[in-house]
Amino acid sequence: MTVKPFQLLCPRELSDALATLEKHSGNIRVLAGGTDLLPSMRQRLFEPEYVLDIRQLREIQGIRLTEQGIEIGAFTTLHAIENSDELKRSYPLLVEAAKTVASPVIRNMATIGGNVCLDTRCLWYNQSLSWRKSCGFCIKKDGNICHVAPGGTKCWAAFSADTPPALLCLQAEIEIRNASSSRRVTLEKFYTGEGDNYRRLQPDELVTHIFLPRGSALYGGAYRKLRIRGSIDYPLAAVAVALKRKNGDFEDLRIAITAVNPAPLLVAGVQSLVNRAMTRERMAEEIAELAARTAKPLTTSALTPEYRREIIRVFTKRAVLEAAAD
Amino acid sequence: MSDFSVVGKPIPMIDAAAKTTGAGKYTDDLSLPGLLIGKILHSPHPHARIRHIDISRALELDGVVAVVTGADAPNPYGILPVGHDEHALALDKVRYVGDNLACVAAEDSRAAERALELIDVDYDILPAYFDPEESMKAERDLIHENKPHNLEKDYHHVFGNPAQGFAQADCTVEGRFIANEVTHAAMEPHSTLATFDLDPVTGNIGRLTVWSSTQVPYYLQHKLSLVLDLPMSQIRVIKPLVGGGFGGKSEVIPLEIIAAIAARKARRPVKITYTREEVCWAHRGRPRTIIDLKTGATSDGRLTAVEARVIQDGGAYCSYGVVTILYSGALLGALYDIANLQYDGYRVLTNKPACGAMRGHGTVNVRFAFESQLDEIAAKLNLDPAEIRRQNLLRPPAITVNGLRVQSYGLPECIEKVVERSGWAERKGRLGKGRGLGLACSHYVSGAANSIIRSDMPHSTVNIKIDRDGGVVVYTGASEIGQGSDTMTSQIAAEVLGCLLSRVKVVAADTDLTPIDIGSYSSRVTFMAGNATLRAAQEVKRQIASAAAQKMGCAPEELIFRDDLVFRRDAQRGVPRLEGEPSGENPSRQRSRGRTHEQANTSQASVAGRVEGQILRGSLQQKRKEDLTPKDFMTFEEAVVAAIDFHGALTGTGSYAPPAAARGGKYKGAGVGPSPAYSYSAQVAEVSVDEETGQVTVHKVWAAHDCGRALNPVAVEGQVIGSVWMGMGQALTEEMIWKDGLLMNPGLLEYRSPSAAESPQVEAIIVESVDPEGPFGAKECSEGALAATIPAISNAIYDAVGIRLHEAPFSPERVLAALRAKKAAKPLNLTEGVDPTRPTRFREHGGALCFKQKGPERHELDASRAR
Repeated sequence: MTVKPFQLLCPRELSDALATLEKHSGNIRVLAGGTDLLPSMRQRLFEPEYVLDIRQLREIQGIRLTEQGIEIGAFTTLHAIENSDELKRSYPLLVEAAKTVASPVIRNMATIGGNVCLDTRCLWYNQSLSWRKSCGFCIKKDGNICHVAPGGTKCWAAFSADTPPALLCLQAEIEIRNASSSRRVTLEKFYTGEGDNYRRLQPDELVTHIFLPRGSALYGGAYRKLRIRGSIDYPLAAVAVALKRKNGDFEDLRIAITAVNPAPLLVAGVQSLVNRAMTRERMAEEIAELAARTAKPLTTSALTPEYRREIIRVFTKRAVLEAAAD
Repeated sequence: MSDFSVVGKPIPMIDAAAKTTGAGKYTDDLSLPGLLIGKILHSPHPHARIRHIDISRALELDGVVAVVTGADAPNPYGILPVGHDEHALALDKVRYVGDNLACVAAEDSRAAERALELIDVDYDILPAYFDPEESMKAERDLIHENKPHNLEKDYHHVFGNPAQGFAQADCTVEGRFIANEVTHAAMEPHSTLATFDLDPVTGNIGRLTVWSSTQVPYYLQHKLSLVLDLPMSQIRVIKPLVGGGFGGKSEVIPLEIIAAIAARKARRPVKITYTREEVCWAHRGRPRTIIDLKTGATSDGRLTAVEARVIQDGGAYCSYGVVTILYSGALLGALYDIANLQYDGYRVLTNKPACGAMRGHGTVNVRFAFESQLDEIAAKLNLDPAEIRRQNLLRPPAITVNGLRVQSYGLPECIEKVVERSGWAERKGRLGKGRGLGLACSHYVSGAANSIIRSDMPHSTVNIKIDRDGGVVVYTGASEIGQGSDTMTSQIAAEVLGCLLSRVKVVAADTDLTPIDIGSYSSRVTFMAGNATLRAAQEVKRQIASAAAQKMGCAPEELIFRDDLVFRRDAQRGVPRLEGEPSGENPSRQRSRGRTHEQANTSQASVAGRVEGQILRGSLQQKRKEDLTPKDFMTFEEAVVAAIDFHGALTGTGSYAPPAAARGGKYKGAGVGPSPAYSYSAQVAEVSVDEETGQVTVHKVWAAHDCGRALNPVAVEGQVIGSVWMGMGQALTEEMIWKDGLLMNPGLLEYRSPSAAESPQVEAIIVESVDPEGPFGAKECSEGALAATIPAISNAIYDAVGIRLHEAPFSPERVLAALRAKKAAKPLNLTEGVDPTRPTRFREHGGALCFKQKGPERHELDASRAR
């Protein structure tokens, strides 16, 4: 289907961009890489009158070393992230997760900011207008029913980006700006857990930077992604594990899951299981159980919820053991 | 004759450059002055009676030129003469989500899409049928009134004495297999551009010209004629480049007729290109199938009887359904020697998009079941899977119990080759935990011996014209759809005429220019259009030979046409060397090897004393200058000029109709299955299975394929690799997911064809059982290999982890469910309650649709609701 006509605005300065965002607040979408926005606009999931092209905003591009850690401009491509020597050395988990996104062609376009802000996905939502008409519009777009949890009023569309679980494990913060102010929040606080209104971002706000704290540097880790194909696919369930070790023991273990809930989630209670008197295998299993219980997949994708939850269990165990073996 | 100069050589596709550079024109690339864009309104309901359609608001919209509905073209049609159950646009009922209701022709696609929103349709919603076994019980609200119990067609065939066969069996295995639905996913979505000539004086509508992405231009011409009430002679169908068909373009697709109706009403050219979602609704893919299969064998592995009950979920229209259900039974024969066969086939209507022909038409799902069960029997009898297959080989020439004639039969060699190359004997069962090998075989027709339109018309006709430019123009109705038919045609013409491949130009698939060919389906083109090309070229060659023979003072039979020369058989050594070429024992042999066309042209200039392209002017002068003593050789051009001076422009016609002996038995339904020749395949797949996730990785496939003579080995390998790859898609990842008749994955993101990342190494092994009737002995190579891949992978999974899957695709959740069941692990509902080792029914996607409760009304605050 064609995209509804819109006006493309291409400011060169961040301040102009933020002013534009404020001016057309609620009737404008931000175009970064466009790899998700444009297909969605063709499906008439978004029909804004204005599209803000942020490609020329130099201030929000690139990877910079700072005293506190690393600052990544929101408009930095995933390709740049997976090829950054600094990130490879200090935050290998993020690089590993970025590498699994879609395909090389898409990573050339797609940005880290776009990945953090990626719209939640549901098999009943990411469909054409005529498809959605035929089954009834849902809570997330145009309607008031949920096909996934009939009778429910909450939207369960799954947050399906690859880098946020890694960023959560690395305790990343993000900078959000509007025309008059700037705020900094932990990524964890950015997501609401609701499938429809999935992020805490006002219509006039823009995610401008992502910060990786120095404290999380040199964490080992692993990212395990369930996908049917070796390329292209969004995650259907995935887990990121970040681990800091001290004298062979686990000093700090963080685990986050994605694609099984309306938000990427840090698995709570992991640290309490660490270094207890049990085999590493057993510990990994208990942590995996915790992760599986955190996952609440529903029928938002082609694979069954039970399978996706089981995979969270399997992958968590594997990722923990792999991180431990490094 | 075994030494060829063009045939048998790896020749790049003659149209490859245009396709790879983007210069080639597909239908959607075409435009005409005044072109309108057509968009189709599709039904949101799976089954509903249309009370009223109001197009008045749509017509008022700026940019809208015409809106057509069912009333604009009420004649029914269908690809099969017995299945004229479709209307281009629904008349009184819609039968699946996506059924066609109306079409808007507008100045641009945006206006057309907006207009679709303004068409008001009143429906009476009817109960719908989604599961074929449920559908067969229907007493009322039938999908088509003339089809009781929603049964499109059923066949009950008994050959030999199955009861006696089972009585003789030492081992009988029976089970239900389910293969889920797959679609073609051709790269190019369907597209059609239609225009009418308008009489400049009266303004009356004249001839219709249609450009369309079709595998069957002549069937399209025929159906357009039926629906539009136009004589076929008033319709011209042209097939531009086609970006893959796989059967999805092997019949008339609604947009092809709708574009013509819209163009007639708008009195302007109209182009419609489907979205990917519309391609999925147009579908015509492989129906999901239930196969209840029973096989008996003696203790040494000889099959004594086979009984198959097959139910196909055909969707809402007949399409090729009657043929599909017959192929499913007929192709139980002709692979192995089976004396007793019972087949009960049911083609059932449901409220889903129509299924039709897809690569390996009819045989693939049954072959999956059969080859899996054969391995189950082998396991019970403690026989090697290769051995049980060797035990049941045919002894050709043979006529099978169901009337199929088998002449060339390369299956034994295929089996030996894959067994040898894969290290089967040493490696099977010894690859360690989670890794295994599986073997399976398959076969396919080289064209159907009986056309779907019963007539004595040849299935292919080819004309060749050679004029004074020295170019060989081949006019063929055969449709190049990426499989290489134009290249094949050129090769055969060049081989017969002994001319350079670059002389040959193929004019294909234009009903005004090319003689009738029934189309590119059932792997018939190389065999049938190839034979027709061969015959046409031979006819032209005879004319050239008789003229050249006069010049050379010999009998035509003494002449050899080769390497762009015509020479006397006994004078090969006397052929002069070309400038710049080293002397050699037999220059004519060496000449075409490794020469570029430029070199060839300069060389000709020096031999013939004129530059190519000036043949028209040169011939007379040449003639005067020539001394009259007989020569030992002539260049191809000189020979052509000589012949044209005798005859005028040279033309030849050749056609092909399958011989009566290959047309099968006389029973009801005997017409489907017979072929002049069958291709054979054997494959070994090596897979590993992740036992915790159920994920299957295919590492390598050894695929031996008997294609008769390989006219173009690189093209054959490409087709075999493509078949294996497509088969792997159906085996592991591809599946149309349904919920109450709604397709949950109508796009290439969620309908998961394999990507390059998980493509295994495929070792294509060509086996050449030269067929006595094929052109130069060739048979088919594009479809037969596919059917072996699915069971080869299934059998390999069994070898790897000991689970026997009865439901395809072997998705990770199914594999994991089976693995957990085997280990007696705590059951998880991984597969919507369907056990993949003992499936009883088709799975539905989870969640709920709510057709009736909170219906498809838009949220009141939504902007696009505003009118």
